[in-house]
Order: sequence, then C-alpha cells, then structure tokens
Amino acid sequence: MKAETPRQIGARVLRLEDPRLLSGRARYIDDIRPANCLHLKFVRAQVAHARLLDVDTSMLADLEPAVTVFTGKDIGKLSMKSHQDYPEMQYAEQPLLAQGRVRFVGEPIAAVLAEDAYLAEDAAEMVFADFDFLDPVTTMEQALDPAVQPLFDHWKNNTWVERQMKGGDLQAARAAAAHVIRRTYTNQRHTGVPMEGRGVVAEYDPGQRFLTVWSSTQMPHLVRTYIAEELGLPESRIRVIAPDVGGGFGVKGQVFGEEVLVAWCAIQTGRPVKWIEDRRENLMASIHARDHRHTLEAYVSAEGRLLGLKADITVDIGAYSTYPFSAAGESGMAAKVMPGPYDFQAYEATFRSLATNKCPNGTYRGVARPSAVFSQERLMDDIAREIGMDPIAFRLKNIIRTFPYRNVLGFSYDPGSYVESLEKTRELLAPDFARASATAGDPNRRIGVGIACFIEQTAHGTPDFTRRRVPIETGYIAARLEVMTDGHVLIDLGLQNHGQGLETTMAQVASDALGITPDRIYVRHGDTSAPYSVGTWGSRGGPLGGGAVHLAATEIAGKMRAIAAHLLQAPVGSVQLGDNKAFVSDQPDRFVDLAYVARSALRNVDRLPEGMAPGLAAEASVDGPKDGSYSNAVHAAVVDIDLRTGKLKLLRYVVVEDCGTILNPLVVDGQVRGGVVQGIGSALWEHFVYDAEGQPLTTSFADYLMPQAPEIPMIEVHHFETPTSLTPLGAKGLGEGGAIGPPAAIANAVTHALDIGVTGTPLTASVLWHLAKTAREGG
Amino acid sequence: MRPKEFVYHRARDLDHALALLAEHGEEARPISGGQSLVPMMNLRLARPDHLVDVNDLGLDEIREEAGALHVGAMVRHERYLTDPLIRRHLPALLEAVHWIGHPTIRRNGTLGGSLCHADPTAELPAMAVLHGARIVLASTAGRREVAACDFFKGAYMTDVQPGEMLVSVIFPCPQGAHSGAFEELGERLGDFAMGSFGVVLEHEGGVIRRAATVCGGAKMTPIRLPEIEAALQGQTLAGLDAAALGDRVTGLIAPAGDFQVSAEYRRALIGELAGRALQRARDIALNAQP
Repeated sequence: MKAETPRQIGARVLRLEDPRLLSGRARYIDDIRPANCLHLKFVRAQVAHARLLDVDTSMLADLEPAVTVFTGKDIGKLSMKSHQDYPEMQYAEQPLLAQGRVRFVGEPIAAVLAEDAYLAEDAAEMVFADFDFLDPVTTMEQALDPAVQPLFDHWKNNTWVERQMKGGDLQAARAAAAHVIRRTYTNQRHTGVPMEGRGVVAEYDPGQRFLTVWSSTQMPHLVRTYIAEELGLPESRIRVIAPDVGGGFGVKGQVFGEEVLVAWCAIQTGRPVKWIEDRRENLMASIHARDHRHTLEAYVSAEGRLLGLKADITVDIGAYSTYPFSAAGESGMAAKVMPGPYDFQAYEATFRSLATNKCPNGTYRGVARPSAVFSQERLMDDIAREIGMDPIAFRLKNIIRTFPYRNVLGFSYDPGSYVESLEKTRELLAPDFARASATAGDPNRRIGVGIACFIEQTAHGTPDFTRRRVPIETGYIAARLEVMTDGHVLIDLGLQNHGQGLETTMAQVASDALGITPDRIYVRHGDTSAPYSVGTWGSRGGPLGGGAVHLAATEIAGKMRAIAAHLLQAPVGSVQLGDNKAFVSDQPDRFVDLAYVARSALRNVDRLPEGMAPGLAAEASVDGPKDGSYSNAVHAAVVDIDLRTGKLKLLRYVVVEDCGTILNPLVVDGQVRGGVVQGIGSALWEHFVYDAEGQPLTTSFADYLMPQAPEIPMIEVHHFETPTSLTPLGAKGLGEGGAIGPPAAIANAVTHALDIGVTGTPLTASVLWHLAKTAREGG
Repeated sequence: MRPKEFVYHRARDLDHALALLAEHGEEARPISGGQSLVPMMNLRLARPDHLVDVNDLGLDEIREEAGALHVGAMVRHERYLTDPLIRRHLPALLEAVHWIGHPTIRRNGTLGGSLCHADPTAELPAMAVLHGARIVLASTAGRREVAACDFFKGAYMTDVQPGEMLVSVIFPCPQGAHSGAFEELGERLGDFAMGSFGVVLEHEGGVIRRAATVCGGAKMTPIRLPEIEAALQGQTLAGLDAAALGDRVTGLIAPAGDFQVSAEYRRALIGELAGRALQRARDIALNAQP
C-alpha cells in the first residue's frame, strides 16, 4: 500500500474554521455571558491635557447598590509599565485609572459597574471630573520645542527616546556621491480597525482562588503574566482565554490596562465583570499607529549606485508607552529596516519617539515597515526621477543579488527572489506602462504605475528581542500534541488564531507528519492551557508555530511507527504512516489503523513493546533565528486619476511575493489580499485627525474612512517559493507583508501619473486635486 | 454607544401618531427606518424621551395628481429605483437615489426621515429643493405646506415644529419635454457627498424653456442657483457650454472647508460636477429630440 494521503503542506485546503465563522457559530467576547455579571463602562477624559483635581461620583449615590464606581484613588499603584531598557529612555507609567493628570482624550478616569450595560452607560454620564487645563501637545513641532512643558513632571522634555544606528562610512559615501537627494516623507496617524473591538470578561472563584479572564487578545499568556505580576496572584491560578477574535491586526497584540483593571474589579466586587469596548472608544482610545516623519538623504554615484543613506526618523507615540513593544519600538523598527533590499554599506539613522497628548501609538500590521517602505520606495523613485533613470532599472541596479547578505547594520538576509520578483513585475506591468504613456499630458485624466519593492524580517525570535531590550523578551512558540485513544489528535497551540487560518495550516502540518487526516485534528488555541508562548503577531505563526507542530508531531510519529512495527512484526524502518494507517512499505495488506495504535498506547498497553512507556503526546517549541527570516515582495499599483475631481481609481493591484515554503496557497493569498486592502486604506483614507486642542475629530466610521469593497480592485497574487533553511519547514512569515507595500506603491503610481513627487499619505481626493493643480502650475 | 432610556410607542394610524406627538411635544420623535436617528441616539447626540414608531401608518404611496407627484413620507428609497412615475417625471431624482448610502440604507430609509434629518449634503433634500417641492406637515391642529427652500433651516435643522410630522412631499412634475441629471462625489461609494449638483431642463424645439438647478455642499442646506437657471433659460441645447457654466457656478459659491476637504477643492469640485451634470442633461435632451 502506497501513502494515499496527499501531501497536505502546500495543498489548497479550504479553511477548517470557516464553517464555524461563516454560519454564526463562532463565540466572540460578547458571547461570554457569566451569570450575575456586572457591566463596566469607562468614564474617559474629554480633554487632552489637564491636571485631574477631583473625580466627583457623588451623583451615583442614589443609584447604589446597583452601581459601583472606582477611580484613580481606589486602585493604589496599579499601572501599565512598558520600559525599553535604553539608558536614554524617559520612563513613565500609565495608572489604570488616571491619577493626577490626564494626557489624552479617551484616557480612563473612572470605571462604573452596574447590573446592566445600559445602566452603566447612564451612570457613567453622572461622573464629573474637575480639571485644571494644561496646554496640549498635539504636533511633532510642539513636542520637540524645549519651551513646552513635558507631559510627565519628572521628564526633561517630550522625547521618550532618541538614539542612533549606524554602519559603514557615511562620510566616504557622501564624498563619493555625484548626487545627493534629500526628501521628507510622512505617514498619517491611523490604525488597524478590527470588526470586533476589544473586550474583557473576568470571573474570580474565591473557593479555588482562581481567576479566569476572557479577552479579545492576540497574546493570552502575556496578559496572564502581566495580571499575575500586577495583582500579585500566582500565575498557576489564572487562566486567560481568547475566544474567537474578530480581527486583531497587531492592535490586540498588546496588554491593555483595561484587561488588568477588569480582572481587578472582578476580585474587588466578587462578581463577574464584563467590559465590551464600543466603536467610539475603539477609535479614540484603543491603539493608534504609524504617525511617522522621515527625512532621508541618499548618496548616489554618477552611475546610479546607492552609496549611502542618512535617515532622521520621528514618530509621534502619543501619551503612554504600550506593553510589551514600548514607546521606542516603532521608531527603532523604522531605523532598523530602512536599508531594505538594497546593496549599500553606509548608513546612519537617528530615531526618536515623541510624547504628545494623543492616543498611545502601538503595533499595527507591518509595524513601522509600511512607513519605512513608503519613505524608502518613494525615495528610490525620486532618485530615479532626479537622475533620469527608469525606476525599475534603478532598483535592479541596486538590489541585493547574493545571499546570505550581511546588511549595513550587520543583519543577515537569507536567500530570496529579489531580482526575479522585480523582473516578473516589470513583465506583468508592460501593458500598464503603455496605458500610462497614452494619458501623459492629458488635461483631464492620467494613469500611473508605481511599485514598491521590499523585504520583511519575519519569524523574529528571542535574539532579536533581547537585542532590542523590549519587555517582550522572548520569541519562541510552543505546541503540545496529543493523540487520543481513537486516533484523533488534539493540538494545544501557543498561538491565537484571529484570521490567520491556523486551525487549518497547523492541522495540515501535523497531518503530514502523523499520517492522520486533517479532519481528525483539532487545533485548540488562544488559551493559556496551551504551553507558554508569546502569542500571534509579527509574521511568526507559520514559520515558528508550524515548526513547533511539525517537531512535536514528528516525535509522536516515531513512537507510532515503533508501536506499529511491533504490532505488524515488521522492522521499524519499513513502517510508514498515511491515511490514518501504519503500513509496511510495498506490502499494502500489512497495515494497522492508527486508532488501534493509539488505543494500544493509551488503554491496551499490554500490546506495547516491552518497556515502552504509555502515551502519545509530545511538546515542542521553535524560536526565531538570530536575525529572523526575510520574506520579499514587489507590489504594483495602477491608478487612474481624474484631474478635475481628484478621484482616484485603482485599475490594478499586483503582488509578487516570496514567503518561502507555502503551507496553504489559499491562506497565503487571503492573507496577502487582506493586508493589501488595509494598506490601500492607509494610502488613501484612514486618518485620525486631532484639532489644536487635542480633540479627536474622527471617532466614528462617518469620519474615519475604511476601505470598502467598491473601491478595491481584483488583487493579483503571484508567488516565488524560496524555502529558508532557518525554520523547520522552510516557511517564512507572511501575515503582515500585504499591508506594507500599498502606501508606497500607490504613492509611486500617483507620482508617475501626476509627475510630481508625493511626500505623504493619505491621498484623498482633495489632496490629489491639490497635487494635480500644483503639478499643472509647475510647483 | 447605547441610547438613553426612552418610551417606545407604536402608532396604529396617523391620528394616533399625531396624538402621541402632540402629547409629548419636543420630547418625542417619529421613527421609521431609523437609519440616522438610531446611530445618533446610540451616540447620545439625539436623546428623545419618546419614540413614535410610524411604520404602520401606510403613507407609502407615489401618485400623480394635477401635474405633481405626491410621495408619502414612508416611501423607502429603493422604491424610486423601479417606480415608473419617478422614471418618467423625476429623472434627476432617480439618478440621485443611486448615491444614497448603501443597499441597507436604501431599503430602510424613508423620504420623511431623510428630509427631517436634513443632512447638508443628503440627496433627497437636494431633490426637494431642485424640484421646488412642497412639504406637507401634519399635526393635531391640521395640515400645512412648506416650500422646500423654506423647510431647510440649516444643518440638521428644519421647519418641523413640536407635534408635527412630515406626511408627504409634493414634487411638481417638469412640464413638457425635459431631462435631468445629478452628479455627486464622495471619497468612497455611499459616503456623504463632498459636493453634488442636480439639474432639470425643460425644453421645446431644441431651446431650454425653463431650468432648475441645485447645489449640495455649497452651504449648510441645498441651494438653487438662480443666476445659472436664468442663463440656461432661452439657451439652445446645441449651444449650451456646460463647462463654462460649471466655471460660473464656481464663481457663485463659497463653500466651507473641513478637516478632510479644503474649501478651494470643494468649490472647484462643485463647479466641475455642475459642468458634468449640465452636459449630461443637455446630451440626454438632445438624444431625445425627434
């Protein structure tokens, strides 16, 4: 009998979780409904910056005992602490409920708990704060102004941190340059907006002294550890469960003060407590992202070789440092990845994170890279325009061609398909370049083609985090596999699946190693009952989680083969697994069902070989390689701009990508397309606007414009597959890449169409109309 | 995002609804599709103590009478898309309806709701102004009619008094041969418009007899542009220079900017949309010529 099970890895397997998700059978955080639950509503600051003199809750007295309220006075020193261990970094904590000062509109001031959610909301309107107003810091310029008072009393200025990264001899590069090209690029404040906002439910069992917390999070173990440390509880008596999570995008990849506070409230009140974030809170006080300004100076030889790059990177981090990636993470990441896929050996970056009276800035799909790639790839086009080269030819002249490549900062890039992807893109876009040429000079309408060529460090592991000295500290992902008496498999996965297709891809990986079909494999995730792991984020689930599943499954497979060999009286080396059976190679009649093997291992252990221990379980973990593994991609956008109305239409969007071994092409394409749609939102619309008083103006979907289906073109995805030797399955990460390319590709397409260098996003109709006008007037 | 407590009344018929509105005065709001009121209540921007559900009242006729279309307050937006009277008499309105929100909004939203909500750039208020519609308000004291141009008082402000309810809108039908067009632009399909322009041309023998125009986004309410209408009157269709008139529109308006759209852009945009709407109305009229 031959192995009849087709190889699962690489197969176009429909997602096993979809029937649940698409038929309304998923259980989200609001579906968690403990009996006797109190509903929590936060009273949030309505001013951006003020001394908090008093919180008056006296009007709630009439409502007691139906309503309970906590303020900053009640919580002692409970706070969020996220400090990156840089000597330059200024330290600040965020009390879980404001104490002494409020620093952004939306900061929690009081928690009102009531018997029902409506009453909680009514009661929250009856809490009044007494403020002594302070001048808000709402711009980078204000934050950099030494005359402006710092946000924190013990600070010397409003800079969280300013540091440098360098490599090579920048002076020499400058001296050798025939062209010096200097540009400033900006990306607006926006974020990932999941359909489901945040939410926390907590229940404390005083008999067992056991705390259960449900949270719509990407990182249950980190939530558990933080709660244990902050509330002084043994971690063994806390379980954190992420139920089905309706979108995360990195935004739910932080530990939030609300998670700790809801747990604390459950212990204080002796009642289950539930908080479900509403959309207004989500948009003004969940987490914001991007908000970058980069000034780049490139040194280019007469032949068009990039010799060196100088970068000055500023990020508006807002009022507090988020856990665990901290206020230094975003700007540091931008500085680290700015060299990109190009071969040059002189670089110097200054990066700084500023404090302002805005919502804290944290991780969102791509983390700094959409902004870094925007600047990097806008710069490549601007250089090509200035020195009169074709943008793709200019990139091909400077692209890295030999691997492993040691970049200017010492990071080692594993092999990819950089040149092939660029050449493939050029070939695919030939008709579009022709279309664009046909509209050059047209007074009403222009077509433009733009590309973004980039790499993405994925599969980050412990070495990367210890080097960065962030509170995350570690990066391994673990999985525990157990084969049951009936030959079905339970995987307890240290990841959390919020759209990645992990219930499918992890079953595929286990299936190939175990010879058990995916329909018999149950992937349980998002629960601290699984082995300790840091959660799902950073394009790590496939390469590291998949690797862990593969290793554990391989260990179990070895034991199943040994048992089967004993049962079949055949040499172990001749036993193969497949189609839920163990069989002897080339002897199709000699087989035993794996269910029988499993039952022998767990119940009828008298059938086991002499001296073999019972059980069919294994646990494994995989950490990231020292410098991660680098995925690469080229994105291309074709835009059609109505010069008279500024209306942009995306005619075509093309992705050529390489994420190493593809576990499931359907999942890869879905991830890429979802990311691209978010990136289109970044490029064209999504923008958190604050006025001069620090009031957010975009707190509903009427003003915060997300991408919608009518504006999204068909997204073509093409693949190269360069497996990496750095992860067990050859897979690289791909979850974020889709969102990284669009701002740069679209801005380059607009630059091409209008013949004017785009310097920022979002490119709304109003912005495009003004750009077209400036171009027309020769500005 | 939960409304404050309110009392829900389901009105049996119009008299019952008007009695409830009279009883609760300023504290009461009629509700039908709820496409604007419910979100505003959830945000607590609207805080009515009483909601009078008018879904059982009927008021959903579209009928032709004495040279006008009488459209009931409860007519849902999607009805216009297939109604033969609308197609024949109000082609500009038919075009405008395509721009209203999304399918769910068009399925639930009503004429009365849209007009009483009075969003500055909403399509149906613009159509009421364009067609010189008369708005019929009822209360326990009787009925009165208000001209559309007097009905809209400002952004989200109308002439509806406490105890009153909009029951129907009378759209005078354009006379003789006519054409209409409507242009709008939002950031995304279904968004609130950044600007819009609608036009009706009544014509005879290739000459414009009478023209009506409406401009959305120029002010806090839809406005007519009498100078443009006067310029159109007596023009030949063949000789109509739509782009030049669009430029003239730009000179007549001074819209405000906001944090998403500059004033300069909005002004130019409305002029451009005016040129396009006029061009299309002209082309439609010329194509219909024998």
